[in-house]
Amino acid sequence: MPVLEGRGISVAFGGLLALRGVDVAIEEHQVVGLLGPNGSGKSTLFNVMSGLLRPTAGEVWFRGRRVTGRPPWVMGRLGVGRTFQIPRPFSGLSVFESVLIGVTFRGRDRYRRAADRRSEAERLLALVGLADKSGARAIELSLGQMKRLELAVALSSRPGVLLLDELASGLSPRGHEEVLLSYGRLRERGLTIFAIEHSFSVLARVADRMLVLDQGQIVADGPPAAVLASPRIAEAYLGEEDQ
Amino acid sequence: MRAWIVALAGAAVLAALPPLTGFHPYWLYLLTTAFLWAAVASAWNLLAYAGQISFGHAAFFGLGAYAAALLALGGLSPWTAGAIGTVAGAAGALLIGIASTRLTGAYLALATLAYAEVWRGIALNWTDVTGGGAGLIGIPALPEIAWLPVALTRGRAGAYYMALAHLLAVLALFAFILRSRVGLAFAAVREEEERASLLGLRPLGWKLLAFALSGGFTGAAGALYVYTVRVVEPDLVFNRYYSILPLVMAMFGGLHTWLGPAAAAISLYLLSELVLHPVAPALHQVGYALALIVVILYWPGGLAGLFSRKRHARP
Repeated sequence: MPVLEGRGISVAFGGLLALRGVDVAIEEHQVVGLLGPNGSGKSTLFNVMSGLLRPTAGEVWFRGRRVTGRPPWVMGRLGVGRTFQIPRPFSGLSVFESVLIGVTFRGRDRYRRAADRRSEAERLLALVGLADKSGARAIELSLGQMKRLELAVALSSRPGVLLLDELASGLSPRGHEEVLLSYGRLRERGLTIFAIEHSFSVLARVADRMLVLDQGQIVADGPPAAVLASPRIAEAYLGEEDQ
Repeated sequence: MRAWIVALAGAAVLAALPPLTGFHPYWLYLLTTAFLWAAVASAWNLLAYAGQISFGHAAFFGLGAYAAALLALGGLSPWTAGAIGTVAGAAGALLIGIASTRLTGAYLALATLAYAEVWRGIALNWTDVTGGGAGLIGIPALPEIAWLPVALTRGRAGAYYMALAHLLAVLALFAFILRSRVGLAFAAVREEEERASLLGLRPLGWKLLAFALSGGFTGAAGALYVYTVRVVEPDLVFNRYYSILPLVMAMFGGLHTWLGPAAAAISLYLLSELVLHPVAPALHQVGYALALIVVILYWPGGLAGLFSRKRHARP
């Protein structure tokens, strides 16, 4: 049974169809990549799967339970975590406090003792390499650090499935390597991940399976090598990057 | 934190002295009112800490005042009337708080302003109950408490000590909130509501809690004010001053800080009444306007920002 599943998801913004009957199933412990050009509906699909947007048609299922249109706080408690393409930090709070929020209010495996919550937040910051930034305000971080904080915040609610929206975008080559390391650590922990990236090379190194979205429809679904081998995909979306 | 507690305890002991040292009743009245303003400014700041900006605290103040006045005239004890006045303020705040499911920022602020005006209109026109524009008079004074020294409860001393105790209660609760998971939830909802909700927080619940606490403490201040002036009128207790001045006081003292709004409220109110009013009665409220301009142009962190570089100071 898939952990997270979208069945026939359609989203219309007025006359514009952003998603057209998208079917997607994320299996336990899989890393699934989502690729597609700008405006293809990737973030819209994430918004639907995380409860931020109610689909015009279709259903969302989480661990065999229909959760279509459930508000984000319910999805968060059930175990759907996500990051945003443009980081959305708790600007006025410290890096440590930002991570403490999810640790304190998560839907499961809550710690009763404040000391345990604090040490869990410290552990997560160490995991993403921000232990030394614990006292800094979130808004003071660089883009790369902010992306790592996004990841730590998303992990703080101990999600069953993690939706990662372009962790690597806007980063330097060194930043890309750090993101790859992060994906590697998450894989080792057996996390279920659904990740949007603009870079095929990043996704190809971490994903078990890859989906390609174009104009609101899934146009390819399979192992990265198979997707890359599809002439239509390679030519239309990946050609430039592979040169 | 420890230094602050010692300083606050010292200030509380000093504040307890005026009625015992023969202060003129007018001075006691001024200080009582200053404490009530400080409590309302702190209660306003508590709501702002959860990211909700209100221009309608006059509604909560007036509801508490009218509830206490009506019950006092009906023969209930001040304690019962005060408690129900507190509940009336909290209930009134919860009602407009529900609007925060649909409205945020300036839209919510304008809705709260309109909400307070609606209550003022009701108080002005529901003459049979509220006395209309003439209001209600004859509210009994706070009774002397048999087991306390008479000096502590006689005349204006009773209202003075109640207002002081109320202010300390607001500050104590805010200090607790700042250090607890409630404060973390308030701050998370304030800083990034959608992000917070994805982490499992239900924003509406936390916002309503902030509205209820803020409205309750403001309603209690309204009830105490009734026992201080012993009269209630729509234009007195639903006055827009109770909506606008707490905002000015909180910003001047330092938004989201623990003691700043209370310190600013006491300073600005006493400056207005003791210094500006005798000199230029028609312009005595110009101090509030100047304070707001100074904060916007030069001191974005308010008075508290001058003492600490941290914007969201912890006690």
